[in-house]
Amino acid sequence: MTVTPLPPRGEAAPVFDLGKVLAGIDTMAAQRPVAAQIVSVANSDDTSAKVLSRILASDVALAGRVMKLANSAYFGMRGRVTSLQFAVTVVGFTTVRTMATVALTELDDESRLPEDFWEVTTCLALASSVLAPRFGERSQDALCVGLLAQMGAALLHHDDPEGYGALVAEHPGFAARRSAELHRYGINSVRLTAVALEQWGFPHAMTNRLNQVDDAASVEGGLLRAAFEVAARLTRDDHEAEPVTRLTCGQLREDDLVPVLDQVRADADELRRAMLGD
Amino acid sequence: MSVSMSRPGDDRVPAEIVTSVFYSATVSDNLAIVVAEMVAGRARVSWGNAGAVELLGYGLDDLRTLPVEHLFPSLGRGELRLLLRRERSARMTLPVRTASGAAVEALVTTTPSPSGRMWTVRIVSTSNELERALRATADAHERRFSALTERSPVPTLLSEQGMRLAHVNDAFCSLVGRRAEQLLGTGWLDAVHGDDLDTVVEQVSAALDGQEVEAQVRLLREDGSVRTTVMRFAHLFTPGVGAGFVGTIEDITDRLAFEATLAHQANHDPLTGLPNRTLLARYVADRFVPGAGTLACLFLDLDNFKVVNDSLGHTAGDELLTEVADRLRSVVRPGDLVARFGGDEFVVVCEDVDQPAAVALAERITAELARPVRLGGVDVRPHASVGVTVQTGEHAGAEELIRDCDIAMYQAKAGGKGRITVLDQRAREQARDKLRLVAELRDAIERREVTLLYQPIFSTDDGRPVAVESLARWTHADRGPISPAVFVPLAEESGLVAALGLLVLDETCRQLAEWDRVLGPAAPPRANVNVSALQLDANLPAQVAHALARHALDPSRISVEITESALMKDPDSARLVLHALRELGVEVAIDDFGTGYSSLAYLRHLPVDCLKVDRSFVAELAHGHTEIASAVIALARSLDLRTVAEGVETAEQAAELGRLGATYLQGFALGQPMTGADAATWFATHGESTR
Repeated sequence: MTVTPLPPRGEAAPVFDLGKVLAGIDTMAAQRPVAAQIVSVANSDDTSAKVLSRILASDVALAGRVMKLANSAYFGMRGRVTSLQFAVTVVGFTTVRTMATVALTELDDESRLPEDFWEVTTCLALASSVLAPRFGERSQDALCVGLLAQMGAALLHHDDPEGYGALVAEHPGFAARRSAELHRYGINSVRLTAVALEQWGFPHAMTNRLNQVDDAASVEGGLLRAAFEVAARLTRDDHEAEPVTRLTCGQLREDDLVPVLDQVRADADELRRAMLGD
Repeated sequence: MSVSMSRPGDDRVPAEIVTSVFYSATVSDNLAIVVAEMVAGRARVSWGNAGAVELLGYGLDDLRTLPVEHLFPSLGRGELRLLLRRERSARMTLPVRTASGAAVEALVTTTPSPSGRMWTVRIVSTSNELERALRATADAHERRFSALTERSPVPTLLSEQGMRLAHVNDAFCSLVGRRAEQLLGTGWLDAVHGDDLDTVVEQVSAALDGQEVEAQVRLLREDGSVRTTVMRFAHLFTPGVGAGFVGTIEDITDRLAFEATLAHQANHDPLTGLPNRTLLARYVADRFVPGAGTLACLFLDLDNFKVVNDSLGHTAGDELLTEVADRLRSVVRPGDLVARFGGDEFVVVCEDVDQPAAVALAERITAELARPVRLGGVDVRPHASVGVTVQTGEHAGAEELIRDCDIAMYQAKAGGKGRITVLDQRAREQARDKLRLVAELRDAIERREVTLLYQPIFSTDDGRPVAVESLARWTHADRGPISPAVFVPLAEESGLVAALGLLVLDETCRQLAEWDRVLGPAAPPRANVNVSALQLDANLPAQVAHALARHALDPSRISVEITESALMKDPDSARLVLHALRELGVEVAIDDFGTGYSSLAYLRHLPVDCLKVDRSFVAELAHGHTEIASAVIALARSLDLRTVAEGVETAEQAAELGRLGATYLQGFALGQPMTGADAATWFATHGESTR
């Protein structure tokens, strides 16, 4: 594919082959067959913890992460999870699938990711999960959406490390960054995530939340917008807080965010370690 | 369905696509299919089936010139490439714009032709009537379920994933006094008591594993109070998602409190609130380690408590007991147990004390108790006799420890009231010895080794024998003869007196019947049988009647002797028993008359035939003191009662008693106690035609 250096503002969009990027994911899938198999079967209605754990057992690294996550404070099991099958039961099929997706797209290799990728991602995931009930969403699904939301950014970074790095440096705010991504690549990173997940058969209800993030009138999109705001407040010193009431179409007030910020700050590190298998 | 082609044979539509269209079209009527083609670098619709025409609302001609991006307004600049991929098929759920401008949510699947310039695009509306209806039904189910749990008075938890709660109802929020948002996720675990958290995790694990489980769990309310609950967990599986649980909670705090009250009542004395005898026994047993323990027991008995009860009333008595309980509680060490053993008896149990420390505690207790208590306007100084026992290697069981301090208390009481006695080795041995003797007495009664001697009673008028008194004797195999003054009180203390009394009664009757058979008219006309105060109850008349019947004797052959003090213990019931005996035809005599405190007025109403003048008054005759014997005999005569003077040891005494008017005489000088066989011989000689 052809990637041109980041153009000055107002210049024409660079040539960016999305198809090739997506095809590249397929190549990655071939290198992580177990993860790919889990991504494809986890969503099926007739799947079971037994089936998933049997497949998962073939990928020791991934299995270890699922065990670690199941025993993390987030799931409250206090170290009681000792079998892989039970770990799958505890974290849920969607989470297992999300972790497989993380492995598949090499999000577990921090050397190939944008700076602060996991710091932001864990904040996004936990904030989404904690706030989900306020939006009538399942916490588990929201956790997974949060964990994968930046996958598109990782793909863009992977494909255009210098250009994307410069773009991030110039646009520290998430919303502005998405506009810049659209301008440069013809697609923003969250949308790219949605496309990829849809391609792999993740439920539309999940991918649609990603699509709605830039529709300011969408209440559903408000959850992820609020999660991005929490992540920004927790990870960036120079972030100018945006009014959360506006971001969430009135679903949340500033007061509501205070306990969420505390909780996310408390759990983020453990979640990151579980996801990366540190 | 039919598919119309505006230009059949159009070379821009390859045959394989037409085939595919026909195949697909027969699969589903809902399927809309268009063919997209790259023309001059822009994707355009080049063909559509009837389903597409119907769904999109365009005429076929309009459709055939439509830019593909026009159909998918949500795809941003450049994103069309994500849908129309050259190397593979793609799938997206996105809105499709119809001719009217309205957007229809649809699942769009594209398949490229081998050339990579043409795509079959299948559009399946996801918002058709059937789907809407199904979703509405599912939503209604969801609402019904949530309304049911929301308004249910049963606290309910719903997890959709592991321990993490997706839903709590109002009843659970009220139970723990927290808001729903505090409890969702793993927040509810903050409401679980720290010591029960492992149990909850364990039970939830079992529920996630498919089991139905329950556990008793304490929940912490926001205000810090604790509720005890039974939490029941049931497995919940959501296809494609995983396992969760439904938890229902029953608050059993009040029920447990009620049960605890009942248990407390069963183990505590309602008046003083102190542990009762049952709890004491369990408490000591729980702490008793044979050979290694350091327990000490103090047994307290209030001196003269009966006087308080009788003179100031039971309310004052109760007040005194409550005050004593309070003082005991205040004076013992923390951790010592104070129990009410019964009546005016209390027991203090201490751990890790030696004998001097136990005695020091006993002294502190007696000093504390001796402070005056004001009861009914009177200052009373409660004194207690205290028995102290410290555990030794010889104590084999907890009950021995309590028994020993009981013995020590009796020794303290016997030594004069208000004392403290430690049960030492010698005292313990004596007590053991006494226990052995009790066991041997029980055996002796069972084997009828307690035998009877018979002492004649003579008429003062003519000196003829008119009766005998049955006297129980026990000759121990090792210890030799044991005095009735020892074994009768022993039988009374150890609950053997009923058996002993029955033995005496039955043996006397048997002997009378035998004398009748051997001696005929020369047999003793009557036998006097002593009855203990403890036998003097409603069973006695029936027992006497049975014994007489068993040996075919007339009731007039028996006279029952009851001591004056036995009669005065419970005069009302004694009177009833005596009446019953008289109705049988049995005579009744009052033994040891003059040694007690009978009310003479009361005596007048008792159905009594005879008074026995106590041997102490007869003995006084030898010293010229005739006053009491004379008064008793005169009293009996004035009440029309006969008299028996006991303990006549000289002929002078006999003569004097005759002068004073005694009806009968009994004593060593006149006739000694004899065995049944000897008595038969004696009566054969002396008692001809005694009746």
